[in-house]
Amino acid sequence: MTTKRRSAKTTSTKKVAAAKKRSPAARTPRAAFAVATNEKKTSAERAKAFTEAPLQTIDSDKNLQASLDVLRDRQQPVKVRLAALQSLQAASFSVIEFEPHREDYLATLREIVDDPDEELRQRVLGILSREKDAYTQQRLLEGLQDPSKALVPPEKALQLLSYDVHAEAYPVAREIVNAPPNPEAKREALRLLSADANSAPVFEKLMRDKEEDRDIRQISAAALQAVKPKRFQEQARELLLDKKEYDDIQATALTALAQFGDEKAVVKDQKLMKRVDELGKGKSAKVKKGAKRFLSRYGSEK
Amino acid sequence: MDVEIQINNSPNANARFLTWSPAPCRIRVTNPAGAQGQGSPPIRISARTTTSGGALVFRRGTTGAFATSLQLNVPVNGNWVSFFTAGQFGRPSVNLNDVQIQARHGNGNQVIGSTPCTVRIRKNANNLTPGERDRFIGAFAQLNNQGLGRFSDFRDMHTNVSSPQAHGAPGFLPWHRAYLLDLERELQAIDPSVALHYWRFDRPSPNLFKRDFLGESDNLGTVLFSGTNPLQFWVTDGVPGINRRPFFNTNNATGVRTEAQTLALGTTYPNFRTMEGNPHGSAHTSFGGSISSIGTAARDPLFFLLHCNVDRLWAKWQQINNRFNAAVAAAYDSGAWPIGHNLPDTMWPWNGITGPPRPPTAPGGTLAQSPVVSAPGVSPRVRDSLDFQGKINAAAVMGFDYDDVPFS
Repeated sequence: MTTKRRSAKTTSTKKVAAAKKRSPAARTPRAAFAVATNEKKTSAERAKAFTEAPLQTIDSDKNLQASLDVLRDRQQPVKVRLAALQSLQAASFSVIEFEPHREDYLATLREIVDDPDEELRQRVLGILSREKDAYTQQRLLEGLQDPSKALVPPEKALQLLSYDVHAEAYPVAREIVNAPPNPEAKREALRLLSADANSAPVFEKLMRDKEEDRDIRQISAAALQAVKPKRFQEQARELLLDKKEYDDIQATALTALAQFGDEKAVVKDQKLMKRVDELGKGKSAKVKKGAKRFLSRYGSEK
Repeated sequence: MDVEIQINNSPNANARFLTWSPAPCRIRVTNPAGAQGQGSPPIRISARTTTSGGALVFRRGTTGAFATSLQLNVPVNGNWVSFFTAGQFGRPSVNLNDVQIQARHGNGNQVIGSTPCTVRIRKNANNLTPGERDRFIGAFAQLNNQGLGRFSDFRDMHTNVSSPQAHGAPGFLPWHRAYLLDLERELQAIDPSVALHYWRFDRPSPNLFKRDFLGESDNLGTVLFSGTNPLQFWVTDGVPGINRRPFFNTNNATGVRTEAQTLALGTTYPNFRTMEGNPHGSAHTSFGGSISSIGTAARDPLFFLLHCNVDRLWAKWQQINNRFNAAVAAAYDSGAWPIGHNLPDTMWPWNGITGPPRPPTAPGGTLAQSPVVSAPGVSPRVRDSLDFQGKINAAAVMGFDYDDVPFS
């Protein structure tokens, strides 16, 4: 019997033909760019046109300069400036074509790190931070040390500094862990400190502290696992043996041990194996799922 | 009577994986008792599957129509008889070995030999079963191994320094095809049931951005995971966690160029590859965070699903326009391009070449080999990436396929 199949080729060809007829992308990239830079058009039209054809922003030096002008001009609608930024950033993925324009682009971004629009500022700082831009890192650090100079909230500054961790950021991150302005700042400070083996006791304490937020405990667990995996395994064991521990945290401990645990140590730990058997019969779906995975690697379900 | 069936002409259980492309198989009689004096008794080959499992089709030779069963005359002297099998389009496997090739003598019902196998296909990640999803992220997490695993090589292959090897010129699509295949094979070395799945960025994919899968971003862009998700221990560049701030509602599509619009870019490769800007670049920058900059994009596992969709679009475009043959002008760009972007060029880092104009280091060594197929070799050239289904040369088949791109 010959297999019957739908004619995928015919269907796809029809779809492509239909797309050609109805698609707004049928507008040429050049025409889209003309709309994007035309101040007589609405913000929505311009923003859409910018994002439609990112490579047009670098099609010529003239186009690049026009795009950068929109980006740096505070009189332009923010929506259009954000679209210009998104389009330029998308074009930056075409490295060979973008390379001649790269320095102009980054210099323009540095010009607008103080822009009054918070969203634009945040996105620009993000791009520069991922480029490991020393000027940006310095400004972010200054803002953490002196809030009157802050370009973004502390949790954002810490997150951006974590793209390229330098030991100079550790002291202020430790201060924030000890006296956080909000839970997100504490979490991001812990993340930034996670390459710092000296911070292992802090991670250990927070991971075990039932009064802490779940996210703080989870990132502390991941950080401890990263710097002291053996110590993490010991602590994860204690969490699982603790009958008053929260489900989320026990699920995290089970997942870590199931995925990355030291098999030799785990399989001979009868107390732990018995406890995980119990957890597998408990009420929490997430703990049961974690226990099942654990036992499929080490235990009775192997 | 007993028979032995080998898939991909191999006794190796790790070779029992199929796609939509025809795979060479063979069968032989191992115990002739019951052959009733027939020198080459008729043997019927078919597949046994479940409702949601993979399904197979068969044919005798390298050409001709596929059918759901096949009759062969197999000599009792133990000589092999060749045939071909493939996954039935639209019926991929969900679990490892969820389909079997079975053999029966003549019109009898007794199974005289069987071999389990898996129709391993790259799927829309939004539609995975919980089991498929969990195995996928489990393999990814294991590859990363808290920042200490082999994943670090893949992260180091895609940086600002190395990016001219892979972007802004015709080699963009071939390089990323090899890169994804290398990663997929490493995932399969951890869990052979896993394929690399794709993020269909022009369609709503809400399941992807849940805490049980690739994580849910908070307002700051920090990605949060459930306690049972092993990606909570993801570490890159020595820093745990993932930063990804969507600029769109993750219950909706991103708003980038649609599949139909992308496929309509043109029938020649130079026109089609402008998709590097939109939808590719636009999908990257539909977020803030690691994925939106070329040097950090590979820190986010979503990056690989995004690129898998880019590759799927190329595969679909190839299929619609018959662009598998590197000798066909419209299948690629002519002219002289920077090294690594011309059809005869080897691709970094798998070629191991370092120093200008190549990057200073070549992380990861040669391309991971597969127990299923031999292409594209340990050090692929650009031209090796086009014929991924082995349409022009059966030996070029790379061992992957997409759920919506057929072989025919």
